[in-house]
Amino acid sequence: MYETLVKALRSLPSDAKEAIVNHSFIAPVFLKALGFKPEECFPQYPTGKGADAVDYALRHNTDDDIFLHTKSHPYILLELKGRDKDLSEGSASYTSTVKQLKGYLLAPNCKTVQWGIITNSDYIQLFKKHGKVIYPASLCLKITPDNVGAIVEDIKQKIENISRALTVAIYNNKGGVGKTTTTVNLAAVLTLHGRKTLIVDFDPNQQDLTNSLGIKPAKESLYSCLEDKNNRVNLNDLINPYIFKFKNLNKEFKFDIITADDKLFEEREDKLYQIFKLHRFRQVLNNFKNKYDYILIDSCPNWRFFSQSAIYACDVVLIPAKHNNIFSLKNAAVAIRKFIPEIQRIRKDGSPIALPIFFNGEKITEAQRITAHYGIDSIIEQARKDRDNKFDLLPYFYPRFTNATKDRYIFDLPSYAHIANTAFERIPAAYKYKIAYDYYINLAKEYFLQ
Amino acid sequence: MSNLSDIGNLMLLYINEIKPNEGTNTPKFLITATAKTLSSLGGRNWVPLIVKEIGEDRYEVIGNSFIYAVAEEAGLEKVWCIIADSSEETAKLTKVLSREETPKINLSTATRDEIKDALQYLIEKPNSVLKSVKLLVATNRIDEAPRQYWQNFEPITKLKCGITKGKKINALKEVFYLIPQPMPDVIKDPTILNTLPTAELKKMAKKRSKVGYSKKKKNDLVELLSQ
Ligand SMILES: Nc1ncnc2c1ncn2[C@@H]1O[C@H](COP(=O)(O)OP(=O)(O)OP(=O)(O)O)[C@@H](O)[C@H]1O
Ligand SMILES: [Mg+2]
Repeated sequence: MYETLVKALRSLPSDAKEAIVNHSFIAPVFLKALGFKPEECFPQYPTGKGADAVDYALRHNTDDDIFLHTKSHPYILLELKGRDKDLSEGSASYTSTVKQLKGYLLAPNCKTVQWGIITNSDYIQLFKKHGKVIYPASLCLKITPDNVGAIVEDIKQKIENISRALTVAIYNNKGGVGKTTTTVNLAAVLTLHGRKTLIVDFDPNQQDLTNSLGIKPAKESLYSCLEDKNNRVNLNDLINPYIFKFKNLNKEFKFDIITADDKLFEEREDKLYQIFKLHRFRQVLNNFKNKYDYILIDSCPNWRFFSQSAIYACDVVLIPAKHNNIFSLKNAAVAIRKFIPEIQRIRKDGSPIALPIFFNGEKITEAQRITAHYGIDSIIEQARKDRDNKFDLLPYFYPRFTNATKDRYIFDLPSYAHIANTAFERIPAAYKYKIAYDYYINLAKEYFLQ
Repeated sequence: MSNLSDIGNLMLLYINEIKPNEGTNTPKFLITATAKTLSSLGGRNWVPLIVKEIGEDRYEVIGNSFIYAVAEEAGLEKVWCIIADSSEETAKLTKVLSREETPKINLSTATRDEIKDALQYLIEKPNSVLKSVKLLVATNRIDEAPRQYWQNFEPITKLKCGITKGKKINALKEVFYLIPQPMPDVIKDPTILNTLPTAELKKMAKKRSKVGYSKKKKNDLVELLSQ
């Protein structure tokens, strides 16, 4: 079935320029193999940002909507390079091509796009887009005549499967930085904006999330779901709704919770490793992927079974930190350059990735901000110089930094007394206080909502 | 463009043939100190003046007025200039590129990220009148308001985000402008209805021949009108 693909690939010169890769491989065979007819592929698609155009936008036609004619609702973008550009992961042209693709994916005409592909016919990588978030959906793979069929088949399968939810682990192995508070309030504002949201209290030792919303554990426990591989447990029994009524608006909002689990808490940690594989929690959550827009996991401040399972289960990791607590910054760095890559190595799909850190819950004076920048600069410098594990932390701490701007911007969710108080009132602060809503919707729009 | 045109060229022009236009408001110290530096480091203005041609051997500054002031102070007889075309667009663009004017964004259509960056710029300016404004609160309340219909910035003063009438609202004009859409005849979007005064809602209800509106409170009016 993939013979034409193999043949076209074999006939490509090893130094084929972009036009040749396109003419002999992408246009005649690759796009077709992905399942797209000529009328479903728009070359040089204008992204709506300045005069930018991406090499291809793809979308399946419907009865009365031919993509090539209407240009509406693109689904996949493909950025093509020639073989004269090295696209192996970590090379300079790989980095610049990924950056280019991300720019296209976030452009005004591409809001409906769900996938992005970069390839030069030597290498290929698939990315998933969810709102503002872009994360790898495959490793950057070397293409050979032997594996090209399998690679295309894998991409095809992924893009044909709708996967609705973005799974976010809220994590920092420093305690008390605001993980639980962020999880609850983020769920609250996403729900207000019409996103169906599930949150998971995956910190059985403290069960803060469950307690802070005043929820009684559900009929079924997470433990039995993790244990059950024969679909005996009804997954719906795992879910607790949290319903909030705005009396003045006469409106109701609801998000769902998987509560903390006493049985998991009672089990010794070393025993948990014997009963459950790290990927088991991800398997359970997969059952909910198409029922929600967001799945948020509140994780615990350590690097053991629960946090490892949470990171394994997620697409991206959101890391709260404190500008005045160097440990929270150092721990964030360790998570980004050690823990997350450990999980990436087992998952083998390039994910999860860390989102840029943010400062939570402190007032920051100008002098303190400068002190924090010094601390972060030196953390970045150390990671860059580390001979055993050289790592570029820059984009995770200063996402806007370029050589021209040296912009040290970090998103800041300010301190607000009512945010702390409402933990006892069993209501997310974002529902009760307009200012808390303003803060958390900014967080949501900064990172997630497009 | 004919090759007899000088547009785009770098030329060494007599300073007395150049009209300074509005000039610069840079402090005296910076001008004299820069003039001294210029004289002591070779006397050539490597950063050129941007001018347009307004007549035979007559030019007018459209950008980098600071360089003109410095050249004048240093007593240069001739200055290096780039000749730009005479369009208004070029004059405007050159002012923005040479940072003599702050660029503005259309608040009617700006994204939340653009609004946030613009407000942050205003709040963090030295001696800003907006110093006490909470960035995230102002950003969100402006972002979520029906700003596509605003005729002026006045509605911002009702958002309770610390931006009040007078100096504060005027400060916004440095970075924002509005190109409003016309208000639709029938508004059903509750978020927009919610931002309108009760009296306005009652007028709408009357116009749309709704019954029993006169005694209703705001929330009920909104509900009535959103059907
Ligand atoms: N923006 C904020 N403003 C004021 N207080 C906050 C804010 N964010 C969090 N807090 C408070 O800080 C404390 C710690 O927050 P939280 O429990 O969410 O942290 P955590 O990271 O989940 O802690 P742990 O590591 O113990 O699970 C709580 O009392 C919470 O109410
Ligand atoms: Mg917690």
